[in-house]
Amino acid sequence: MSAENYVVEMVDIEKNFATVKAVDHSFFNLKKGEIHSLIGENGAGKSTMMKMLYGLYQPDAGVIKINGEEMRDLTPGKAIEKGIGMVHQEFMLVNELTVLENVILGFEPKKGVTIDFDEARKKIQTYIDDYHMEIQPDKRINQISVGEAQRVEIIKTLYRGANVLIMDEPTAVLTPQECVKFFEILQELRKDGKSIIFISHKLNEVMEISDRVSVMRAGKYITTVDKKDTNPTDLAKLMVGRDVNLHIKSGNAVKPGEVVLKVDNLWTSGEKEISKIRGISFEVRAGETVGIAGVDGNGQSELIEAITGLRKVEKGTVTLSGKDITNFAPKKAREAGLSHIPEERNVRGLNRSMSIEDNLVALKFDLEPFTKHYTRNKKEVRKFAEDLIEKFDIRPKKADVITQSLSGGNAQKIVIAREVDAGGDLLIAAQPTRGVDIGAIESIRTTLENVKKDGKAILLVSADLDEVMDMSDRIVVMYEGKITGILNAKDATKEEVGLYMLGQAEQDRKES
Amino acid sequence: MSKIFDLTLIYATIRSATPILFAALCCTITQQADILNIGTEGIMLTSSFVAVLTSVLTGSWMIAILMAIVSGVVMALIMAVANIKYSANICAIGMAINMFALAITKFGIKRFLGTSGTYSGPDIVGIPRIHVAAFDNNVFLNEVFNNWCITEVLGIIMVIVMWFLLFRTAWGLRVRCVGRFPMAAETAGINVRRLKYQVMIISGVMGGLAGAHLTLGYSKMFAENITNGRGFMGIAAMNFGAQNPILVWGGTLIFGCIDSIGARLQSYGIPSQFILMLPYIFTITVLVLAMWRKTTSEARKKSAL
Repeated sequence: MSAENYVVEMVDIEKNFATVKAVDHSFFNLKKGEIHSLIGENGAGKSTMMKMLYGLYQPDAGVIKINGEEMRDLTPGKAIEKGIGMVHQEFMLVNELTVLENVILGFEPKKGVTIDFDEARKKIQTYIDDYHMEIQPDKRINQISVGEAQRVEIIKTLYRGANVLIMDEPTAVLTPQECVKFFEILQELRKDGKSIIFISHKLNEVMEISDRVSVMRAGKYITTVDKKDTNPTDLAKLMVGRDVNLHIKSGNAVKPGEVVLKVDNLWTSGEKEISKIRGISFEVRAGETVGIAGVDGNGQSELIEAITGLRKVEKGTVTLSGKDITNFAPKKAREAGLSHIPEERNVRGLNRSMSIEDNLVALKFDLEPFTKHYTRNKKEVRKFAEDLIEKFDIRPKKADVITQSLSGGNAQKIVIAREVDAGGDLLIAAQPTRGVDIGAIESIRTTLENVKKDGKAILLVSADLDEVMDMSDRIVVMYEGKITGILNAKDATKEEVGLYMLGQAEQDRKES
Repeated sequence: MSKIFDLTLIYATIRSATPILFAALCCTITQQADILNIGTEGIMLTSSFVAVLTSVLTGSWMIAILMAIVSGVVMALIMAVANIKYSANICAIGMAINMFALAITKFGIKRFLGTSGTYSGPDIVGIPRIHVAAFDNNVFLNEVFNNWCITEVLGIIMVIVMWFLLFRTAWGLRVRCVGRFPMAAETAGINVRRLKYQVMIISGVMGGLAGAHLTLGYSKMFAENITNGRGFMGIAAMNFGAQNPILVWGGTLIFGCIDSIGARLQSYGIPSQFILMLPYIFTITVLVLAMWRKTTSEARKKSAL
């Protein structure tokens, strides 16, 4: 194939952020009408690469060609003009505006000086019909589901006349069933001659949908392979640079003991209508991992906040080891034996501007021996921190390094180390491996397994359904703030869990 | 009682509300783009001085308004460059503008008008009033609608224009998007910085009109710190009206009404100090109520019960 036939060509691209080389001499090209996956671990430079193609960042070196034409000083406006569209990982939708307003933003059809909403509606309807996408143009974004918001994003790019669609980790927020539908849409787009760049690290999806696969690792371009010539194991090896164990299964060796956490008919407020918790009851026993599955934003975060004292419980009770801890302040809940790995690592998990040791000692810095006679004993803190750094393999192995500079994996290990060391009867792990590289995922999952073996109770929340299925003994499925099913992880299939996640099935269940 | 609440109160309300209305519009447009224009007071004060000075020098109220607008835009642009280009904190730069305005006008009145404190010379040419002869014979029309100052009419027109601009045009949609989620605007190919500059320029125009109306329409004088917190009352009204020009207008009318009632109470032996306090007490009350309404309605919206 000659060079002119590429829709997009990125040659020898380089991009630095301050001292960090985010992209280092990388290549990417796209043929017309293909689905080309770009894979790599977190921080491998995939998103940075594509943001340069979309004009959000300027490359420090290298050439970007669109339809054979060399692009200089690309801006999003110019990229859109050249037919590039991007569906970002974080949706670029304004919550307070309607679907219609969001779609036409920047490209409003006009009637005199006013916006021609009828014309806009008509145009959008043709895309809805062509690709059989269900969306409601007059709803505000904060009234629609994540899956629908993603369809809005796709329509937005089509409306702007995109021929090349960049999809940044699009399936992370979808249920298995929504994924199937999403892939059908992608296939149809390809049939219509659109070229698609699919960024992902879910290898089975990559294998299902792609024509070709490009791999990046640590900012560097590794290789491009045809789908038919490769397999998930090889791809994983290319991504990580060594053999990896893709699945750490829950060892069901421990026999569940006493009830540690009991949530009874819990009601709490929610950021969205569908994330309000309305009457949830379940239990977690000692030596058991209970996983909460559900599409992001169906109340998982609110539930965890209510249990940990960060959100007011409006009705119902939370009991920890027989003690009523409903509406306890977070510190008091911790004293009662609750440990919490928060989902927002950089907001609630860590103080990014403080050192590794200060973050590690954060739960007990005010206690002896770390504080004595109202003064801090730095020597004791250092000893304590170095001990944990060794035990949990946190790198760099220097206690006084500011956590700002740490990779996602090592930053998360600090949080895990602190919370596991606290030794509460219940460990709540919310998104413990989000934004973490594969190597660290392995180690974090193994740590959680060991905590369970020690006879602690674990409540796990994860947007990654595979993680929930692999790590849990029982799975609680949430949909719109309610529990639709509690399943035994051993017998459950992904499809079954998916049905509960979509609210299309509901168990007739009595809490044991 | 009937001496306080009579027909003339309607026009008195409009009269007191209009300076605050322009100030409120000055920060309403910026707030839609997520810029809290603390400098409203300073923009207004500077242009009120420029208006008087130009009026005295040229004898033309139209040139005076024009120059007031120019000076308002200059002040707004200083803030815009500091905030948008050099990312200075908007509150800090806004306060700096306010203090600068106090000082420069104090200097200006001495240097150019040759007096200190207050200037109310007969050579100030004010903004004319619209007299409709046909209204003379009808008590209601005459009391309520006759002899409005041109800028008082303009204020109401501006409310509608701004509402239309924000909610009916593509430009307004973009501004609202920039204020709520700038990344979404940027990925739609919108030049966020340019839009913010445009918003600041409009804000300067409104601030200029606020100043010109205050010294050439509302009164025919200039005094040190003549704005006397009206810029901040405008910000309060903007908050009260949730940045919607129509509701913001409503907020300023309440201010105007309180102010007028206060003025009438004075003749009933209520201490003037107390009367002078009224608008400020009301400002605090409005802000507390607006926040209270916002938090309770949010809490209610979020509640699962």
